Amino acid sequence: MNVAEVTLEKKYHRAVEHWRRHWLPDYETLLAQWDRYFPQDEPFCLCAKMECGTPDRVAVGEHAGEAKRLAPDELSEEEARHLLAIIRAQASTEFGSIQQHSGTLARAQDDEDRFWVLRVMAEELRHGYQMFHLLLSQDWSKAAAGVRGEEMVEEILSMGTGSHVLDAFNLEYDSFVDNVCFAALVDRVGKYQLTMQKVCAYKPMADSMPPMLREEAFHLAAGVIPMRRWAKRAAQGEGFITMQGLQRSINKWYPRALEMFGDERGGDSNVRMGFKDMKNRQAQDLYIEEVRRMIRDINARYLRARFPGYTPEKSDQVLDEVERSRGRHDGVAFEDLLRLPDRRFFRRKGEPAWTMVGLEGESFAEVDDYLRHLAQRLPEAYLAGGDMKRYAETLRLVVSGQLGVEDAIRKMPRLKRVGGNCPCSRAVRWVVEEPAS
Amino acid sequence: MPEVQAEVRIRPLDELDIGSIVRIDERITGAYRPDLWEQRIGYYLRRDPEASRVAESGGRVVGFMLGDVRAGEFGIEEPGGWIERFGIDPDYRGRDLRTRLVSAILAHLRERGATKVRTLVDRKDAGVTGFLTALGFTPSPLQALERHIEPRESP
Ligand SMILES: [Fe+2]
Ligand SMILES: [Fe+2]
Repeated sequence: MNVAEVTLEKKYHRAVEHWRRHWLPDYETLLAQWDRYFPQDEPFCLCAKMECGTPDRVAVGEHAGEAKRLAPDELSEEEARHLLAIIRAQASTEFGSIQQHSGTLARAQDDEDRFWVLRVMAEELRHGYQMFHLLLSQDWSKAAAGVRGEEMVEEILSMGTGSHVLDAFNLEYDSFVDNVCFAALVDRVGKYQLTMQKVCAYKPMADSMPPMLREEAFHLAAGVIPMRRWAKRAAQGEGFITMQGLQRSINKWYPRALEMFGDERGGDSNVRMGFKDMKNRQAQDLYIEEVRRMIRDINARYLRARFPGYTPEKSDQVLDEVERSRGRHDGVAFEDLLRLPDRRFFRRKGEPAWTMVGLEGESFAEVDDYLRHLAQRLPEAYLAGGDMKRYAETLRLVVSGQLGVEDAIRKMPRLKRVGGNCPCSRAVRWVVEEPAS
Repeated sequence: MPEVQAEVRIRPLDELDIGSIVRIDERITGAYRPDLWEQRIGYYLRRDPEASRVAESGGRVVGFMLGDVRAGEFGIEEPGGWIERFGIDPDYRGRDLRTRLVSAILAHLRERGATKVRTLVDRKDAGVTGFLTALGFTPSPLQALERHIEPRESP
């Protein structure tokens, strides 16, 4: 495992640093405290990391067996545009999640939790930087008929919560529970995307994946480990975070996470062009099973903390029994445990878009009944926000037949105008490196 | 135990293995120690997720081995591998899982440029020492030393 580290041309590097000063103001604190929270770990490096020695041949699709493409000009226009859309979406998620995390980071109750999330944010910045390297180190304009990497980078740096490519990155966090549930659920989709892209027929993209995946393993831990600890404390009646609070956050993020895979019926072109090795539904199915395991694991942690005298076998048996009967066991109700929402719950994209399916898979006929069902299952602060309001308005139009499902899918999210997101109002123009005034 | 016959797969450690590792440790030691393993697995995952491996049979984790690459410790500058903890579910002993776990970790350490792998064993634990010797581990010129610290002792 040999990795080459690359830095962007100065003006682009500075633009990322400038962005970082706005959205990751604790970056210097993280670096100063790095050895305290991550002793012996390699110091953080804001650079692109390219894995050496990855396969040279295309693994899947219509070019399988051919040499991997090393430059944009070796791709057809269709392929170049398609790949650029993947890179743009990937980059948008990296920068978008930092903006989301920064909103509630300070509300962490525990310093270790906060520093773990800070490290996640810094690594997401590196991932965004990595995607910029792909856009900027080679000329895409011929292959993609005039699309310039530099313009794409400028656009991505000007996106904010509300104007990102994927819906999951357009929702604000409501509390620190969201920082953690997001890492456990949404970063997990990221892991799937990166794993699928390891085969990418465009070699610089494939080479970017292994170093990102190594970092992503920690992001998932930064989600699951605090969730396990919160479940334990909830069982012992300590702390502020309840199992119901965790469940509400899961209900908020899980539907958006599922939609990040793309429409369940799609993904053929990714495989055909050799950019990913799985279609959307196939990857989503695996993801769902993994989240099911995660929830089971957290529930087991809760039960053992609640009944310290139980053996693991007894605890398993109780878990199975309560899940099956939806009843109670010695003071623990079915509602005290976490559960996996139905894959059609609260969806606005993909196959089940705008159907009214409840958490347990039950169907609703009336919009008001369904909205009441959602109101009892989503975080209170989220219910009061703009996303929920737009969702409810759109749902009414769809159910009354005034808006087609396809049009409704395109309507969410309502994009904010891109640009002007830099709080210093100089936008993200390249040469912004004057001393702060 | 029918699943003992199922095929065993060795794969890198991930965060969802914590529960299974806690359980294997509990079967071996009799102690339920989730806090310890959450902390340790957080450590190994952030260092290098591929340097630690688990053995999976029929979708269940039945063995684990946690490793790491470090440089600069004890004055050793070149990167060296460490294998620090392992455990095999007692129902799966005698199936060579430890050997398969070690081989997977060695292959990864080699890729990372390590030319040596180290571990510490209790000399009294003949089983572990014998197993490691069979895998080519030999006593190291580096020797672990220790002394007792009295609760109140003048320096
Ligand atoms: Fe990332
Ligand atoms: Fe991540």
